Amino acid sequence: MPRVTAATKEATRARILEAGRESFVRCGFAETTTRDIARQAGIAAGTLFNYFTSKEEIVLQLMSEALLARTEKAFLRRRRDGSSLEEDLFLFVSTGLRQLKPLRRFIAPALETNLSPASQDTSGPGPAIRVGHLEFLAGLLSQHGLAEPPTGMQLQMYWVLYTGVLSFWARDESRKQENTLALLDQSIGMFITWLRMESSDPS
Amino acid sequence: MAAKIAELMAALPDAEAELVPGAGTEGELQKILATRAVPINSFHRLSLLGGLQAKVAAAYAFHWIRGWFQDASQRERDLAETQFKLAVRVLDTMGYMRGAVMKLGQVLGNAPDVLPEQLVETMKSLHFQAPPMHFSLCREMVVDELGDEPERVFAEFDEVAFAAASLGQVHRARLKSGEEVAVKIQYPGIGRTIRSDFRALLPALLPNRLSRDWQNLKDQVETIRRQFELETDYLREAESQQRVRRLFRDEDGIVVPKVYLNVSTRRILVMDYLPGVHLDDYLGTHPSQEERNSRATKLVTTASRMLYSGRMLNADWHPGNFLFMPDGRLGLLDFGCVLRHESEEEWGRIRRINRAIVTGEGKLIRNVMIEWSQLEDTPKNEEQIRLYMDFGKWCWRPYYSGGEFDFGDPGYIQEGVKIWKQIARKRYTRSHPTNLLQFRWECGYRMMFYRLGAVLNSMPIVANEMKAAGWDHRG
Repeated sequence: MPRVTAATKEATRARILEAGRESFVRCGFAETTTRDIARQAGIAAGTLFNYFTSKEEIVLQLMSEALLARTEKAFLRRRRDGSSLEEDLFLFVSTGLRQLKPLRRFIAPALETNLSPASQDTSGPGPAIRVGHLEFLAGLLSQHGLAEPPTGMQLQMYWVLYTGVLSFWARDESRKQENTLALLDQSIGMFITWLRMESSDPS
Repeated sequence: MAAKIAELMAALPDAEAELVPGAGTEGELQKILATRAVPINSFHRLSLLGGLQAKVAAAYAFHWIRGWFQDASQRERDLAETQFKLAVRVLDTMGYMRGAVMKLGQVLGNAPDVLPEQLVETMKSLHFQAPPMHFSLCREMVVDELGDEPERVFAEFDEVAFAAASLGQVHRARLKSGEEVAVKIQYPGIGRTIRSDFRALLPALLPNRLSRDWQNLKDQVETIRRQFELETDYLREAESQQRVRRLFRDEDGIVVPKVYLNVSTRRILVMDYLPGVHLDDYLGTHPSQEERNSRATKLVTTASRMLYSGRMLNADWHPGNFLFMPDGRLGLLDFGCVLRHESEEEWGRIRRINRAIVTGEGKLIRNVMIEWSQLEDTPKNEEQIRLYMDFGKWCWRPYYSGGEFDFGDPGYIQEGVKIWKQIARKRYTRSHPTNLLQFRWECGYRMMFYRLGAVLNSMPIVANEMKAAGWDHRG
């Protein structure tokens, strides 16, 4: 029996993710089964479960790749010197939406479960997305002169707003999802105003 | 019940007191406005209860109602109270936002000496100093609409807007082909707020639902809603702008910026950048009477050429849409609310109105006002017809009176406001559905001449334009 190298494993994993993305786009999330994805990837149905526990996890992994590595790079490329915290935060989230765009139609279930503010997951791609995103947020806040790291409540508030924007966007039928841009602008304005009020409150 | 009215009045801001706490100067006011984003959803607008614009709107309503109902009967005051509460609630809901309310503000901001000074100052600031979109939001709009980052679509793009208006804001840029342009970017989702505001307006109109004019009133509101929504389509505006541009030649000294359709969409409009200042700054240079009259002549030419040769009327006639260029030319901006009189039926109506304007004959004015107000098939109310005629005569006096007319006479403006108040007090709302937009133009047009202090015989200019369009100048 040939030995499965790390490189082979990585290639298979990448094939599954690509097959998942294609199948979700073509048939929709609900209509796609893990069997369909395995067939598309050219592997046995059972082999898929050596890599992912469910199709939801495949979606989360696709989201993770879009939101973490790709978004940060794109954000740093688009960012300009001297921009305000509002502008930077808006740009960070909107850049993430651009990266997520090919997945827009099938991220809703993941938002309602693994990425939900109420989710109790502590491992897997869902928590990794959350931690990675919030760490980046903390870095941005610090770069803009907020001396204290954000508190747990502040991060939770941000996450509620952020996932709210994502959920709205996933179902936004307005032209080019322009209503989401407006909602995002509002949400960020609301969050930063609250954050500044908290920082200036001596109690 | 009277005590309740007193309580309600007492709870509202005093017209003479500070309307905007913490906003003593216009600069401070703008600072406050600039820190706020545009409210898009109903929840947020509701949360603005007691905010800046709500206070201004409430103060305005307070003045309005107090003037109307001072001598009214108890029953009328009770009804007024109910309506007033509804109106205040609706205005509060609309609160601080763009779209429809901004448009109301633009009309009111043109009315110095008629409305409280602080209110006018606040409304005036809405012409050009609306809260801005930050650059990250503009960037996303450009990428969504034009398919690439602003830095790559344009050779240069100014990140700071140089003008803001009701539906968008304007940035300077340079095309890769070298032209200096103005890029108008629309606030995302503004069409939705207009729809939502008009839905919120309906409850305020409900006290009129038993009136025989209820359907007519709803038709008028619906016409305005449709027109405001059309304004969100910048490609439609581009088409109107191109039509108007074709009407003027170099020797007219009236400039309509060229539109660049290859970089324009429904939400972004790119046109030639025109240098110049708006009315307030122009007046700040203390131009001579002769110079002001010369500018006013161009304004009359503009409106007449658009109407007689172009069959169009710019219902969004306010100082923010005109540029006084350094070389003496007049720049025309913003063609979002251009009414096009395309049907022959509509055009026939305009011709009949025109005959009344030119001649000032009482019988013609009476017939036109009956037709204009859709009173043909209703029992004749002579008082209503008389008030409408008074309004028509007031509107068109600068034309039919002959000779020079002093548009800067406050008495003339106050007379018009008095007639309008009487019409409103009697709740004579019946009108052709497009008349509210026509009325908006009539007000904007006169207020602009008033502020310019123009003394002008406009009839020869109008007659010339009629003749050029093949009309007999006697209508």
